[in-house]
Amino acid sequence: MTAPETAGTAYGTAHVAARPGARLTAGEVISLAVILLLAAAALVPQLLAPGDPLAISPTEAFQAPSWQHPFGTDESGRDVYTRVVHGAGQSLLIGLAATAIGIGLALVLGTLGAVGGRALDFATTRINEVLFALPGLLLALVFIAIVGPGVTTTTIAVGLSTAPGYARIIRSRILAVRRSGYVEAAVVLGHGPLTILGRHILPNAVAPVFVLATLGVGQAIVWASSLSYLGLGVVPPAAEWGAMLSAGRPYISVAWWLTVFPGLAIVATAASATALGRSLQSRTRQEQS
Amino acid sequence: MRRAPRTLTVIGGSALTLSLLAGCAAAAPTSEEPVAGGTLIYATGDAEPSCLDPHVGGNYPQALLATQYIESLVSKNADGDILPWLAESWKESDDGLSWEFTLRDDVSFTDGTPLTADAVAANIAHLKDPQTASSTGYLAVGKIESMTSVDEHTLRIDLSAPDSALLDSFSMPWVGIQSPTALERGQDVNCESPVGTGPFIVEEWTRQQGVRLVRNEDYNSWPGDAAHEGPAWLEAIDWRFIPDAATRYAALQSGEVDVIDNPQPNSLAAATEDGPITAIAAPRPGASNRIELNAGKAPFDDERVREAFIRAAEVNDGIEGLFFGTVARSYSVLSSVEAESLSTPEYFDVDLDAANALLDAAGWTQRDADGYRVKDGQRLVLEFPVSTNQSVPAEQSLFEQIQATTKQAGFQVILEPLDLSSWYGALAAHEYNLVSAPYTKVGPDVLRILYHSDSTVPAPSGYFANLAQLKDPKLDALLTQASETTDATLRAELYEEAQDIVLSGYHVLPLYDQQNHYLHGEDVEGMRALPTVSTPTFFDAWLAR
Repeated sequence: MTAPETAGTAYGTAHVAARPGARLTAGEVISLAVILLLAAAALVPQLLAPGDPLAISPTEAFQAPSWQHPFGTDESGRDVYTRVVHGAGQSLLIGLAATAIGIGLALVLGTLGAVGGRALDFATTRINEVLFALPGLLLALVFIAIVGPGVTTTTIAVGLSTAPGYARIIRSRILAVRRSGYVEAAVVLGHGPLTILGRHILPNAVAPVFVLATLGVGQAIVWASSLSYLGLGVVPPAAEWGAMLSAGRPYISVAWWLTVFPGLAIVATAASATALGRSLQSRTRQEQS
Repeated sequence: MRRAPRTLTVIGGSALTLSLLAGCAAAAPTSEEPVAGGTLIYATGDAEPSCLDPHVGGNYPQALLATQYIESLVSKNADGDILPWLAESWKESDDGLSWEFTLRDDVSFTDGTPLTADAVAANIAHLKDPQTASSTGYLAVGKIESMTSVDEHTLRIDLSAPDSALLDSFSMPWVGIQSPTALERGQDVNCESPVGTGPFIVEEWTRQQGVRLVRNEDYNSWPGDAAHEGPAWLEAIDWRFIPDAATRYAALQSGEVDVIDNPQPNSLAAATEDGPITAIAAPRPGASNRIELNAGKAPFDDERVREAFIRAAEVNDGIEGLFFGTVARSYSVLSSVEAESLSTPEYFDVDLDAANALLDAAGWTQRDADGYRVKDGQRLVLEFPVSTNQSVPAEQSLFEQIQATTKQAGFQVILEPLDLSSWYGALAAHEYNLVSAPYTKVGPDVLRILYHSDSTVPAPSGYFANLAQLKDPKLDALLTQASETTDATLRAELYEEAQDIVLSGYHVLPLYDQQNHYLHGEDVEGMRALPTVSTPTFFDAWLAR
């Protein structure tokens, strides 16, 4: 799950599916369906679960799944199904925002390194190496320890910790694109360096990063959930999958549904995002070759 | 030691044969002879202390451990009577200002230093020394003004005012007696390896993991209610820190550990039904589990807002559902084991309409888009730092329910789960409106520690016990008078009046009794909780395996 590994698969000698322009596979359809369902849950949770995710009813605590409560009720009698649905927005938002922060930061670092001259390249590469030396999750933990827990902090923390991986890829891509024929042509034609960077280098260098980002969203959701699980992410009573998992764990022997359903949601989301990312990756590679 | 189980089988076998021969239908004998030897593994869910010397700071995790290696001047039996322990006898002067304690003359600390009057004086001086940064012990010996060694084993203690709680205070582990030679080594060393007279000795403390305690072979100072004489049966105790309740319980179920504390209510409910795991319930003396409302700052400086909060907070259903019937709702600031406890359910009727009316009257008339009340552009926000080391998950869920029910009246409760040191930090900085802090002290004098205005001033450790920030001269006078009187009836009346001031002023939302629960496996015998502050003692414990 570490960033270098992802980079390796993307640019190493991974398998190439020989299905240029092929129709959607069953796996892709399922993944897409899950992601669409999640998007719906995130955008209009009231449509899927009209209840209030924070409404307590202590007398109805620890009820097993039933028609009335398809995922059961938690220790305070809150409806687990409603909480899982309403947690989607929170989890998805953290995943997307964190990836956006990571890629944004990486774009700056990577571009500076690739085109900013030797001194800047040296500086950004060293910063990157230092950040790489710390495992991503640890970096996020350090950040939260300094700034304090909360949704915003968690998002920034996860974004920060994924940035080094993206930055390294962007830098190497820019370096490769810079040596390509069309860039040389642009230079010969007398275009300014900013024009060349903006019009030729970045669009060509960054496209594959967006494919990686699809993979990254799944990872970011898992990380954000891990942080909430450790009590460092969202604060109670917010419905967030990792936090729900953590709150339900003490009762695992009496109420399995408290952990199973948010756990399944995390697995389904991360797996679908990753599966989509991978197929997107192999499709774009097909088109490029 | 290896041979012990076989011996046991022989004894058990012959007993069985005998009962068969006698034609007796009784069950197999359970009162077997204790077996010496073996290592008991204890897994605690309380926080790992930052210092093993209970004088420093003075919290419950320290008391749990210290009970194994440090002993007190007096103890208590199950009926609450004071028993001699390291002190053989004592007498109080008629004016209550002077006490003379006669110590046992045959006891030595485990480093060889003899127990003398000077040693006890050095311990009290250590508690009072600001450098020690004591809190619990410091407050408990607050009235001791001077000490004189009358002879080698007689200590005279002079007080600034009579102290009806002195013997109770001396029974607590936080006022335990340590080797003066060991204390002189300095705090860093003494925190690592404190030296007492107890049945076990601290051998090694591996941080984040556990403490190894080995048997004191020369032990001779068991309290009067002990079940045997001579050194402890167990050869050693492996004391492990396993903060996670589910993991701790799983370790007990699998036999990896022998005893656990702080079980989840659902595990506790299951354990009492099942065979192999036995529960020991030991109610803690002192205060009940309660939420203090900080009257020292807005918005709780207004009694109407405090009452509105208490009227809006619904806790009964939560306690019933979350604790699986293992605890009962409390309407008192004192633990139910304290005879002076005053229970006033009438102050705690939940009434949302009344809460709304009170908030309107207090000027919190507007509500914002989220339904929270607003006054002069300020939201009705209540900060609630929660110590995740001290509040079990069920209690944290109860706080979430209080958050949800008080929201209906327009309160925004912000729960902040914190580790112990950040939590102490938040309290020291007065960054709280609500707080739930356990406080254990033997006897009703805990009321003076918790609600006398003197306790708003931090002890040397930085902790102040009066978290409700109650500063009421009338209450102060009652508590002072109660702690100075020896007339039990008058004392009870004074404490009742004092509790009524605290409760009727809506300074506290009592939740449930403070209870210690221990679960142990089927081969642990003879374990009990000391009646003083309900910490476990393993002096009489042995392993039937």
